Amino acid sequence: MVMSQEFHLSDRELLMSADGELSTREAERVDSHLAACWACRTRKQQIESAIGEFIRFQRDSFDKLVPPSEGPRALLRAQLGRIAESERLSGPGWLRFISRRFAWTAVVAGLLLAGGAAIGSHILLARYATRTVVVTIPNPNYTPGATVLFSQREVCTQARVKNKAVSVDLQRRVFDEYGIRSAKPSAYEVDYLITPALGGADDIHNLWPQSNRATIWNAHVKDALEDHLRDLVCDGQLDLPTAQREIAGNWIEAYKKYFHTDRPLTSSH
Amino acid sequence: MLECPPESNAVPVPRLTEVKSVSPSAVEEQLVELFDEVRVPLLRYLSAFPLTMSDSEDIVQEAFLSLFQQLQRGKTPQNLRGWLFRAAHNLALKRRIRYRKDPENTGSFTEAEALMIDPGLNPEDQLAFNQTQRRLMAVVRALPEPHRWCLNLRAEGLRYREIAEMVGMSLGAVALSLERSLALIARAVQR
Repeated sequence: MVMSQEFHLSDRELLMSADGELSTREAERVDSHLAACWACRTRKQQIESAIGEFIRFQRDSFDKLVPPSEGPRALLRAQLGRIAESERLSGPGWLRFISRRFAWTAVVAGLLLAGGAAIGSHILLARYATRTVVVTIPNPNYTPGATVLFSQREVCTQARVKNKAVSVDLQRRVFDEYGIRSAKPSAYEVDYLITPALGGADDIHNLWPQSNRATIWNAHVKDALEDHLRDLVCDGQLDLPTAQREIAGNWIEAYKKYFHTDRPLTSSH
Repeated sequence: MLECPPESNAVPVPRLTEVKSVSPSAVEEQLVELFDEVRVPLLRYLSAFPLTMSDSEDIVQEAFLSLFQQLQRGKTPQNLRGWLFRAAHNLALKRRIRYRKDPENTGSFTEAEALMIDPGLNPEDQLAFNQTQRRLMAVVRALPEPHRWCLNLRAEGLRYREIAEMVGMSLGAVALSLERSLALIARAVQR
């Protein structure tokens, strides 16, 4: 006990000892001191107890907030599948290997060509300035879908309201994300992927530029699906996370599944 | 009994290096398994940022998609758990800058406060429990953000070296940060 009266370990040494962060030599020194010093052992226990309290606090207060994993897991699975599919479509393995191997050559060649292309594009720009890309399915990298923490009851008790108008700034960000810079504004409607009526969030990750030029799978068809899914949720035939997942995954496939049809029903037009 | 968070250096689950030559769907399945294990720890860590749960969920998804793309490019990080925490940290910083939210206005804390009452406890215990929890919440909320990062990362089993690299601090600064945070927590509990 003489040693403990001469000096005590610092809180940092005690904490690092508890965390196994001391070097072997330091750990031996600390352990031998602790074996002799009740005061330091008590302080070490207090530190351990504070760690325990923090962990308990975190688990008790935070873990309750975490939504079930089924929805996020399914969303991840869908997005992984889509990325893998687009990789497969982007070409066979050997082609990707060549493109990686000769990437620098391609960059240099590209730079040389860029000058010439710039002149040509200047001439062509005016012609294609208003060309519209028809987007019927959002890109999952930009629009994976986002929800707010609403329960099924909350979704169903709120009146079926019209989607909130998306601010111009947010619309511009959505267009930027999708690389749409020169189309006529009237060619697209920035739409919610998961409709707010199903707990969709007012967030860029839940917004996409739906093309007004889509003739078959258009906004009216999607609206019909949204209404139908909400009815199923509120009738208790479908749980909310599943409905959100279905519409975020691939709304056209969801339409086919829930309306049992390969083409939009005429009443959806 | 509290569940012990695994040390990030010794996570047994991800063995993605072994499935590199297997079909892509096997990699996807392994990633989904890893997602099931790491999602909640990542969300808990992200509670140190002024983000809503929905933002945090997005970040976790983005981190996993980035990991998948890395794997598809033939790059397998040695420590997948640590890599995911780092990716989530960087994505959270980016999102915070994008949203320009007030760092003190922590969405996750506000959400946690709303759910603090545990109906399983009798009124007396509930009161005592809530008082301690509220004091702890006030302490954690008042910590500077880097201190919260260190505390949450350590709580999820990351080593000081990993934390230091991730948050851009020295090892000594990480130790000091944890020491101070725990001292405040100990005081809040004893009060």
